[in-house]
Amino acid sequence: MSKNVRQISVFLENRPRTLAEALKLVKGFGVNIRALSLADTKDFGILRIIVNDTDKTVDGLKAAGYAVTVTEVVAITTPDAPGQLSRVLDILGAKDVNIEYLYAFNGKSDRSVSFVIRVDDVENASSALSEQGVIQLTENDVATM
Amino acid sequence: MERYWNKEIECASREEMKKLQSERLVAQVRYVYDNVKYYRDLMDAKGVKPGDIRGLEDLCKLPFLSKADLREGYPYGLLARPLNECVRIHSTSGTTGRRVVAFYTQHDVDMWEDCCARAITAAGGTPDDVCQVAYGYGLFTGGAGLHGGSHKVGCLTLPMSSGNTERQIQFMRDLGATILCCTPSYAAYLGESLHEMGLTPADIKLKAGIFGAEPWTEEMRRSIEKSLGIKAYDIYGLTETSGPGVAFECSAQKGMHINEDNFIPEIINPETGEPLPDGEVGELVFTSITKEAFPLLRYRTRDLCVLSREKCSCGRTLVKMSKPKGRSDDMLIIRGVNVFPSQIETVLIANGYSPNYLIEVDRVNNTDTLDISVEMKPDQFSDKVRDMQLQEKSLASAMKTMLGINPKMHLVAPKSITRSEGKAVRVIDRRKLHD
Repeated sequence: MSKNVRQISVFLENRPRTLAEALKLVKGFGVNIRALSLADTKDFGILRIIVNDTDKTVDGLKAAGYAVTVTEVVAITTPDAPGQLSRVLDILGAKDVNIEYLYAFNGKSDRSVSFVIRVDDVENASSALSEQGVIQLTENDVATM
Repeated sequence: MERYWNKEIECASREEMKKLQSERLVAQVRYVYDNVKYYRDLMDAKGVKPGDIRGLEDLCKLPFLSKADLREGYPYGLLARPLNECVRIHSTSGTTGRRVVAFYTQHDVDMWEDCCARAITAAGGTPDDVCQVAYGYGLFTGGAGLHGGSHKVGCLTLPMSSGNTERQIQFMRDLGATILCCTPSYAAYLGESLHEMGLTPADIKLKAGIFGAEPWTEEMRRSIEKSLGIKAYDIYGLTETSGPGVAFECSAQKGMHINEDNFIPEIINPETGEPLPDGEVGELVFTSITKEAFPLLRYRTRDLCVLSREKCSCGRTLVKMSKPKGRSDDMLIIRGVNVFPSQIETVLIANGYSPNYLIEVDRVNNTDTLDISVEMKPDQFSDKVRDMQLQEKSLASAMKTMLGINPKMHLVAPKSITRSEGKAVRVIDRRKLHD
C-alpha cells in the first residue's frame, strides 16, 4: 500500500437528494467513510471521501454511472492544540507547496486532530513534513482508525 | 466500385434530366389544378393557369405552398385522389403545431421506397446485407421508408423500430446486421451502449449507417463512425414530400443527391421568395412531379442549404444539397444574434465533449439568456473546483467565438441528460412561455 492516501472524488449535481443517493450507494457496498468533505458551486458539488475499501467503492460508483476520480492526498495527525495547523502550513509554504484544499476529520483520540491536505506536489509535501516530524497517516491508518 | 439502384436516372445527363423534369412538371401542374381545389384557388389568385407552365423554366411562376397551407387543409384539403385509391397515411410529429397528414397511393409508396432503395444501395447495400431498421415504425415515416427500401434492395430486414437498446445490440450481434438505419442521436446512443456492454466494433458486423430525420453535424458523424466502426451516410426527407429518401448521400459523403426525377429542388431567398443561383445559401423548396395522392408544388421546407452541381466522385449526376444548416424555425434569435443548435454541437464535439447536450433559452430582466448543459466524460472530471470552472470557462469562450454571444456553460453528470430513441429534444426555449 502506498504511503499516501487515496481520496475518491465524486461529481454531484447541486440539487436535493443527489448526496443522499450517492451515500446510500456507498452504504450498500458495506464501506465505511473515514473522512469527508463537500465542495459546492452554484451548479455542482464535489464529494470527496476517504474510505476503508477504495477499490470496491470506486468500482461500484463507476458501475452506477458516476463521474469518479481518485487523487493522492496527504493525511496528517497533530496534537489538538493552538498553532499546530499553522506550523504545518509554514512547513509546506517554506517548500513552495501549494494547497488546493484541506479538511479536518476525526483523529485517533480526543487529544489529536487529523487533516487531509490536497497539494500540487505530494512528494515534496510528504518529505518536508517527514523532515519536520509531522505524523503522516497511510491509507491503512485512515481505514483502521 | 460504386453501385447504383437505377443508373439510368442517377447518372443521366443534365439535358436528359431537364427534359424528363419538364414533361413531368407540366403534367403534374395540370393534374393538381384539375384535382385539388386548394391549389386551383392559389393559382387563380396569382393569375397562373396550367397552360402557362410549359417547362422547367416556368416553375418560378407558381405560387409557394407553406406548412401553414398544409395545416389549413388538414386533413383532406390537399388530397388529389379519392380516398379509396389511397393505401396509407403518415403524419408529422406535430411538435411545431397541428399535425400534417400525408396520403399515399400504391404508386406513391413504390416511388418512395424506390428512393430509399437508391439510398441503401449508395451506402453499399445488396441482397447480401442485413439491414437493421431502428427508426420508429408507425405514423413516423422513418421506419416505413427504410423498411420498404430495404425490401426492394433485397436485404434481410430487421424491423426493430426504436428503443429497447439492449435488444437492438443483441440482434445486431446475433443476426450480424451490416447496415443500421435510425436517427443520428439514437446511433450515438447505440454506440455508447455498445461500449458500456464491454463490446467494441470488432464484435459486430455493421459496415454502414443511414441516419436522418434530425440535424446533425460533421463532428457527430465522425464520432458515430468511430464508436460503431462504420461509414455513416446522411439521408433527407420530409413527411410532406413522402419521407426519407428525397435526398441521400453517396460514398463521397459530401452532400446528398436529390432524387430529381421525382422532386425538383429550388433555393430561394427566405425573405423575398426570389430564386437564388446554385451555390448560394437559402431556403430549400420542393416540387413533386410524380406524386398522385399528395402532390406538392413549390413547398417551402424552411431548411436552409446550398445546391451544388459539381461533378461527384460517385458518378451520379443528381444535384447535391448540403446538410441543412438548420431548419429556419430551429434557428434561435438570442440577443439579436442568429444561433443554430448545430453550431453548438460542432463546438462541443470539436472540444472533446459528448453529443449529449441541452440548450436552454430564457429571458431574465428583458435580456435573453443562453444556458448549455453538456455531459462530461469521466476523464473530464477533476476533484478541483477550479479545474472544473476553468473547463466551463474555456468552453464558453469557444462558444463565444463560434456564436458571437456568451453562453453559460454547465458541465453535468454522465447520463444525466435523457437519451433519445427517436428525434432528440435539444432545445428548450422558455421565452415562448412568457409571451
